[in-house]
Amino acid sequence: MKCPRCDSENVRVMTKAPVEEAWEIYVCDKCCYSWRSTEKIRIHEKFKLDDEKIGAMQVIPPVPPLNEK
Amino acid sequence: MGKICTSLRDFLEVLEQEGQLVRIKEEVDPEPDIGAAGRAAANSQEKPAVFFEKVRGYTNPVVTNVHGSWKNHALMLGMDKNASVKEQFLELNRRWDKYPVEPRIVAREDAPCKENTITENINVFDLLALYRINEQDGGFFFSKASVITGDPESPDDLNKLNVGTYRIQVKDKDRLGIQALAFHDIAIQLEKAERENKPLPIAIALGNAPLVTFMASTPIAYDQSEYAFAGALQNGEPVEIVKADTCDHLYVPASSEVILEGYILPRVRTVEGPFGEFPGSYSGCRKQCEIQITRITHRTNPIFENLYLGIPWTEIDYLMALNTSVPLYKQLKESMPEVVAVNAMYTHGIGVIISTKCRYGGYGKGVAFRLLSTPHGMPYSKVVIVVDEYVDPFNLEQVMWAITTRVRPDKDVTVIPNCPGMPLDPSSYPAGMHSKLIIDATTPVAPEPNPREVELLEPPEDTEKWEEIIRQHLEQLK
Repeated sequence: MKCPRCDSENVRVMTKAPVEEAWEIYVCDKCCYSWRSTEKIRIHEKFKLDDEKIGAMQVIPPVPPLNEK
Repeated sequence: MGKICTSLRDFLEVLEQEGQLVRIKEEVDPEPDIGAAGRAAANSQEKPAVFFEKVRGYTNPVVTNVHGSWKNHALMLGMDKNASVKEQFLELNRRWDKYPVEPRIVAREDAPCKENTITENINVFDLLALYRINEQDGGFFFSKASVITGDPESPDDLNKLNVGTYRIQVKDKDRLGIQALAFHDIAIQLEKAERENKPLPIAIALGNAPLVTFMASTPIAYDQSEYAFAGALQNGEPVEIVKADTCDHLYVPASSEVILEGYILPRVRTVEGPFGEFPGSYSGCRKQCEIQITRITHRTNPIFENLYLGIPWTEIDYLMALNTSVPLYKQLKESMPEVVAVNAMYTHGIGVIISTKCRYGGYGKGVAFRLLSTPHGMPYSKVVIVVDEYVDPFNLEQVMWAITTRVRPDKDVTVIPNCPGMPLDPSSYPAGMHSKLIIDATTPVAPEPNPREVELLEPPEDTEKWEEIIRQHLEQLK
């Protein structure tokens, strides 16, 4: 199975439905996208991710410098 | 004055009695049913809360749109559900002055949020019927959580305990992402912890007393207490709080449905988003902080409360309407007593209308500058309209009248470039920078010339009598 957002194969089952085995939830360990097995996933082209986009993402809030000991 | 509810469960009962809660007994799907119902409730005439008793695959119920109408907002304040927006603004102003009403600390065994404890195999999906709110969201989000953090440099100062609303993405069974923007109070605390490379303890309260959730999304000063304000807004009834289990200086609302406890991992940022946000559009992906959950406590059969966000107005707009207007009004009033009312209900105060008496020429513009230098107004407010003291800023027809008949664009419309901006506003570029627009729709006073001074129309003598006669005739037609 591939991540529908970044095409990574680094995906796994995050959890299963607490009752009735109604669904599973998957998560991509590369881009953190998560989805349910019962959903129709249609990701807009502009929200698709790749290494370049992930590398260029804004960091919020910026990581401050460490205090000097 | 009606009942002021100090727990979500009490409030849901009141909403149901007043015909402002719809109960769905049939099983629904997590997607798209719950998000769709949140949008549909906002589209409807009565805009009720929607309570789902059974969600496929889950054990516990969900409720949405709890704050999502002026009727529900009035009932939250214990007012008649038909109270006008201006009446609710005035009542909030009155209660605001009761601050501080210090919270009451209760013992753990007296706190409903501590009825059950989970410390092993933590899985938020076991307890909470999470669902995707909007189709392009990057995952499952808490959109209505009250997040509690302390100041690492003065942990025992309860006034610096921050209770705020931040969007939270579920990253794993026991791992969350959180958006802490640089100008948010939580970012001040996080920076202190991260400079020392230390985790920041955090508690997340879900399903709270309606005025606690309301205060968590109210912009107040860093050293003011949200709990002491919520007590004031509960008309003097203190909020009951209880010490968190995992951190001695964090206190959580005792009546909440669920408390997640843990810490923000220092100096870690991972992909978060997109998320359909309050400006009515998606905010894209960014690298943001992560939370490790180490403990959950909850009421038995907890109710998961979450909200829908869409193109305004939806539930979130009621949680950033009068609670944005009142603190801005109070801050202006302190130094400018001529200010009569502030309507900052548009997209969390990005748009603001101020009514004021003008003491001398240029005063209207000065009031706008004051607004743009308040802690909230500086980054958020972008379009500021100033009207005379007799114009009701909550009556948009009157405001448009003031703009169309008072404004001379060449001198009354001002654009100030290169100011702070709200990064989630898609017209802010680069995100976090913006220009400001001031429209001064007040009547010129000396020394500003007013060469075509006018006489305002007054209502004819018996207008009030005729209002009553017409009202009675309309009653008979019903």
